Amino acid sequence: MGADELLAEIGELATSLGPAVRPAGSQQLLRSLTETARQLFGAAACSLALLSEDESELIYTTAAGEGAGDVTGLRISSSQGIAGWVVQSGQPIAVSDVTSDPRFSRETAEQTGYVPRSILAVPVETPQRLLGVISLLDRDAGRPGAERDIELLSLFADQAALALASVDAFANLGRVLLGALAQGAAGADLVLALRAAADRLPGPDRDLAALAAAFASLARSGTAERRLALAVLTDVGDYAGRRPGRPR
Amino acid sequence: MPKIDLPIDKDWAWGGYSGAGVTVAVVDSGIDAAHLAVRRVDRAAAFEWDPNEQEVASTEGPHEDLFGHGTACAGIIRRAAPDAALWSVRVLGRRLSGKGMVFAAGLRWAIAQGARVVNVSLSTRREDYFGLFHEIADEAAFAGVVLVCAANNVPAPTYPAQFSSVISVAAHDGTDPFCIDANPSPPVDFGAPGIDLEVPWLDGGTIVSTGNSFAAPHVTGLVARMLSKHPQLTPYEVKTVLRAVASNAGGKDGGCHGG
Repeated sequence: MGADELLAEIGELATSLGPAVRPAGSQQLLRSLTETARQLFGAAACSLALLSEDESELIYTTAAGEGAGDVTGLRISSSQGIAGWVVQSGQPIAVSDVTSDPRFSRETAEQTGYVPRSILAVPVETPQRLLGVISLLDRDAGRPGAERDIELLSLFADQAALALASVDAFANLGRVLLGALAQGAAGADLVLALRAAADRLPGPDRDLAALAAAFASLARSGTAERRLALAVLTDVGDYAGRRPGRPR
Repeated sequence: MPKIDLPIDKDWAWGGYSGAGVTVAVVDSGIDAAHLAVRRVDRAAAFEWDPNEQEVASTEGPHEDLFGHGTACAGIIRRAAPDAALWSVRVLGRRLSGKGMVFAAGLRWAIAQGARVVNVSLSTRREDYFGLFHEIADEAAFAGVVLVCAANNVPAPTYPAQFSSVISVAAHDGTDPFCIDANPSPPVDFGAPGIDLEVPWLDGGTIVSTGNSFAAPHVTGLVARMLSKHPQLTPYEVKTVLRAVASNAGGKDGGCHGG
């Protein structure tokens, strides 16, 4: 099989299987996380900003509370502001009155229409990757236990990092498929290359890649076979969901 | 905290001395030399990643503070050690890429050029930086250079604060810049003021802020004072002296809180 055919197969495979293998609910989890943090800290808003692919920007992907609608999707440079310093230095920080930082006030007023008084920001990072920053605006710093807020928000940051890591695994699955292309170009069959790539993956990703390999086989079998496989899988899925004692 | 049975108190440690002859490097976002709390920056070098050449590029000469944090640290250090020489080693503020390499280059420059104390209000959890930062921490210790690092608040190792060869500092709610607590549980070594502090910031102003990254420069300033009085001390002896003068050592009550 030539490289061009492999590329076409991989493209079709990735497109068809995207919904099947993408982790479910990660965005809902992150939204729930930011809203939970917002309430727990008595804050006006909580947001999660993630580094762009080239790390030049922070993209506000998830927000809860004041200005959430306006801030979601906002992109700021990772080279400026309190969030930028937190992500670059890896250090948490809380500022009581950001309005005394003239640079901060101008940026946020222009872009979200909500200018906070206080901000607490901690980095979102795993031992493998720096992901972004989670921020609280105008939290209730007078609550009992508020002196441990940086530590507490860091626990939320860890949870966010775990949720994001599962999304990453799906993104890495795509890279695995592309890596298989390189192998395939040397003459190996796509299915064999995928299985070999699946073997190299740790933990649950192996199952996803094996699933992808199984679908690749089915895809070559024909339309009727694909429909039968889908019907069977749907029935199995329904059955598994209904079994007593299984968590939904 | 057990008492260290040595005739060391704050007067022995730094009494009558204010940092003269000691160079302190602030590895951070730059320092605003015009800020009243800083007054003077004796040397400055900026490091950033050059994506075209795929290497670290450095520029010596005055530069601005790109975030404000470096100026805050410099002001805190200047207050404790008014006569120390302050160097700005800017490793933050431009692109994020290559930041481990940029940090290493900045730190190695400071050590090679003769800085005696380095304030490092930076940390990373990334395991692929473990080896590099460990190597640099060793290089500093072997060269007699004291690294004072901000601890992190996460229940996981962060570097370089994690390493035993550096002095790691977390924030407490005390307000006396000459009052530090010794922490009985590693890896954090000391507590210093870092909660709701008014610190120098951008445009000549101040900001009220909280973070371990402000506690570290308090200890940096004290180390600079100590080394101007006792220039022969090794980094390990410096840590011992800090332990001896900690307010909670030797059965003294309360520590620095509420002070």
